Amino acid sequence: MTAQSSRFILICSGKGGVGKTTLTANLGIALARQGARTAVLDADFGLRNLDLLLGLENRIVYTAQEVLADSCRLEQALVKHKQQPNLALLPAGNPRMLEWLKPEDMRKIAAMVGEHFDYVLIDAPAGIEGGFRNAMAAAQEAIVVTTPEVSAVRDADRVIGLLNSEGVKPIQLVLNRVRPKMMASQEMLAVDDVTDILALPLLGLVLEDEQVIVSTNRGEPLTLGEAGSPAARAYLNVARRLLGEDVPLIDPSQERRGLRARIGRLMQTKIF
Amino acid sequence: MNAVVVPPGWDGGPGWLVLPSPEGAATAVELVERALDEASLLADAPLPMGLGLAAAGWQLGVTQLRAVTERLAQSGVTLVALCSDDPRSRVAAAAIGLQTSPPLPQRPAGAQPPGPAGGPGLALQRGTLRSGDHLEVEGSVLVLGDVNPGACVRAGGHVLVWGRLRGIAHAGCQGDTEARIVALQLRPLQLRIADAVARGPEDSPPAGMAEQASLVEGEIRLDPAQPCWPLAARA
Ligand SMILES: Nc1ncnc2c1ncn2[C@@H]1O[C@H](COP(=O)(O)OP(=O)(O)OP(=O)(O)O)[C@@H](O)[C@H]1O
Ligand SMILES: [Mg+2]
Repeated sequence: MTAQSSRFILICSGKGGVGKTTLTANLGIALARQGARTAVLDADFGLRNLDLLLGLENRIVYTAQEVLADSCRLEQALVKHKQQPNLALLPAGNPRMLEWLKPEDMRKIAAMVGEHFDYVLIDAPAGIEGGFRNAMAAAQEAIVVTTPEVSAVRDADRVIGLLNSEGVKPIQLVLNRVRPKMMASQEMLAVDDVTDILALPLLGLVLEDEQVIVSTNRGEPLTLGEAGSPAARAYLNVARRLLGEDVPLIDPSQERRGLRARIGRLMQTKIF
Repeated sequence: MNAVVVPPGWDGGPGWLVLPSPEGAATAVELVERALDEASLLADAPLPMGLGLAAAGWQLGVTQLRAVTERLAQSGVTLVALCSDDPRSRVAAAAIGLQTSPPLPQRPAGAQPPGPAGGPGLALQRGTLRSGDHLEVEGSVLVLGDVNPGACVRAGGHVLVWGRLRGIAHAGCQGDTEARIVALQLRPLQLRIADAVARGPEDSPPAGMAEQASLVEGEIRLDPAQPCWPLAARA
């Protein structure tokens, strides 16, 4: 692949804490495992924690800040992942960068990174203010992460509006922290309710999974290991769909209806 | 003030020539003549369905209407309708084969008259309004797309949504109580027409039927949408 064909993908949500950084880390590893040269950019300068999730915190020497200031080369700032050498992290500089960082700076950084990687994933900060706009400037396409909650969906909708007006496309949706039981009993927005409002193609459904929290604390994204847990499979499938593979999606609220559907579900749980 | 031409709406109806209220000595024919002289007025608006005359406040007899018809015909324009608040003028118009209708109510002073058939300034919004979007227009607005929860659309005239209305809509926001809200699926968080406010219905909508909200005796009422345009005043 040449530099021109790199994909610059923004991972954003509007609402905080819905799983952007978790998705960025897991997707980064999963893409790298599939052989794609992948860089993850921490664009959350205020509350950076992508390094933490990837277990790379203690290896950071330089950051995007030094690269922009020309006080180091890009190669020096990129932190290669231990087990997945196809994956590298460009750490965010210190929070004070927020005061002067401009969309052009992000664009410049992303273009530099794009010369060496097939996929550039940009972990956006929550909100729709300056930090988010900087991150958006560097992206060509976007993945919007939301949970099946009214407030998260509302914020996602707002973000999609902004992405549309900046001409970012395609925009795809990852629905995170899905609880099939709550959906089936209509205590939670159904998958249809969410896609109905947001009108985006669904790139993945990630179940609520406590293994996510365990792996976060260890600094080892789930996709590093064998795909044992539901969330790990979901993240791997998101990566495969992103790479163009046709992996079917199953709506967990639909599949619980009826005995046959339930049997079907037992056989199909691997699809998440 | 001169007569203004309202080009045909998106519905394929006629265009309209809106006369200013009669003041001074100018006759209707003279005003029409003046409008025709400003050649560009009609030049760039093809009128396949002909032209209607909106003449609120005018008393027009058969002779005057004939004169207008002939003057327009000289310019290749067919007069097809009269919109007037004067019953005698409407009778005269019907007598020479014109369609007739009463006008939509006048706006507050200063605002543009709410001409028929789409009205002056039917704004077109292409695409869905998403959460946080606020659209406000002076005339009526047609949204080609949804109005999502968290989005808000306000219009001096009608709000028409070719899609699902799930946010907030305010029609007649300058006080026009005849304004309507029409949507393919009408499930807004809140509806306002002029000064009346209503929360949206909770139940799910009837499948496949466009609905409209209008003010009836000060209350907002939902009905199946009227299958025609312009939205005529309720009988
Ligand atoms: N599918 C899941 N199942 C269980 N817990 C999850 C899941 N996805 C994310 N979490 C948890 O939710 C929390 C927030 O996740 P994360 O930091 O990825 O969100 P974020 O969108 O990046 O937040 P911020 O807006 O602060 O950057 C974390 O504690 C994470 O472990
Ligand atoms: Mg984060």
